[in-house]
Amino acid sequence: MHDGGKATRVIGIRSAEQVLTKNMTTPDSAKDSLTSALNSNIIPNREYLLQGSVVDQYVEVLLHRLRGLCDNVDDGAETFYDHEMCFSLCMNSSGNPLVFPLRVRRALDAQDAPYQLRYIGQQELGDKNRPTIVRSSIDVACSASIVEFLQELGCRLDFEYTARGYMFRKGRMKITVSKICKCGGGNKPGENIELISQSYLVELSVLAPSGYDAIAEDMRVFAEQLKPLVHLEKIDYKRL
Amino acid sequence: MGVTVLQQFPIVEQRTGPSTIELLTKRIVALGATQQGQFLVDCETYSSVPQLGAQKTVHVLHNSEQPATVFSILETGSKTIPLITDGLFDLLMMKMSNFYQSKKQTKVESKGPRFEIGDFSVKLGSVAVSQNFKGILVEVEYRPCIVPAMCWDLIREFLQGFLGSSVSSTPPPYLQNKMQEVYTPNDTIQQYLEHFTVYRKSHFKM
Repeated sequence: MHDGGKATRVIGIRSAEQVLTKNMTTPDSAKDSLTSALNSNIIPNREYLLQGSVVDQYVEVLLHRLRGLCDNVDDGAETFYDHEMCFSLCMNSSGNPLVFPLRVRRALDAQDAPYQLRYIGQQELGDKNRPTIVRSSIDVACSASIVEFLQELGCRLDFEYTARGYMFRKGRMKITVSKICKCGGGNKPGENIELISQSYLVELSVLAPSGYDAIAEDMRVFAEQLKPLVHLEKIDYKRL
Repeated sequence: MGVTVLQQFPIVEQRTGPSTIELLTKRIVALGATQQGQFLVDCETYSSVPQLGAQKTVHVLHNSEQPATVFSILETGSKTIPLITDGLFDLLMMKMSNFYQSKKQTKVESKGPRFEIGDFSVKLGSVAVSQNFKGILVEVEYRPCIVPAMCWDLIREFLQGFLGSSVSSTPPPYLQNKMQEVYTPNDTIQQYLEHFTVYRKSHFKM
């Protein structure tokens, strides 16, 4: 990204360095580099996730505990205020409906930061004893034209919301505690917001390449430490 | 990042692509340029499947000058929307293959040696449409400046200096509307796409 991509997660698929060291040979095409990155399994395209909630009344207690447990405590918890729009690309293919979900997230409190485009797949079935949800996830930083791009691509806006809260880190784990508000219907984020509930959403997640199941165990152990304030669980979306 | 002008270089009869590149290499080296590796700009085009309604086209381009970036251009017939993203966008396009499919025979790339000479960088690209050689694109970038109007004359003089009379004295059409604006890497991509589209059309006639 050339425009303000400070927060861009640059995943080392083709670093300038790699290109420079191959000074006199033609640089690999981006497709080739991506294929070799896929083959060597270095793309963090799996999300390990646990979710739960805490009522407003006790959120301070939870934040206090997280401050004690997490890494980024010196300068206080990091706050965020994001707007997320959930799109889907749909069509009927010989009787079978095909749906391709895409989400766009932008920081309302950091207008210069790139937008984030995200694909989240179905949660993987597999081992029932696995401690967390595992689902495929592709995260891409992008320019602000993404919203118009998706609409013209044929995507439909399903719903949108804002999330405002705190973000903590513990090793590779990310913990967010956020208040979710509905928005949309022509309202700008911040106008006529409608609280979803009297609780905060608590999420514990890690992005990793597939097969890094050991991280799920670390997440389970961490989730144990937050009990009984919040019960982080595998939420089965199909049952909701 | 400065201002870039992309210029087609005609291939005279009796000359092949490689010998023309060699000729231009000799000329630029004689001016004092040093070779700084190779470069590659490629473009793949995806079209929406009929079930999605009116046909839309997504061009996905990469430039070795911005190796962590993917440039996409969506054409709907009435609108053209550029999108700049991280490298993993390619992975998303693969996932979207039920909706948008690539036309393999239209993959275009321009690649060749890259030179530096003072404040300019020069790239001599051989253009190939699905591996068939189509022509030569010369890219000249004047790096200290980001507003085309302020350096067009300098770039023109430099281009004419080593390409000769094939260089027009007016800026390329794409740049004409943007002479007073700040130049971005996306503008380079747009110029490549315009030239690639012309080469592709010549491909279909053959």
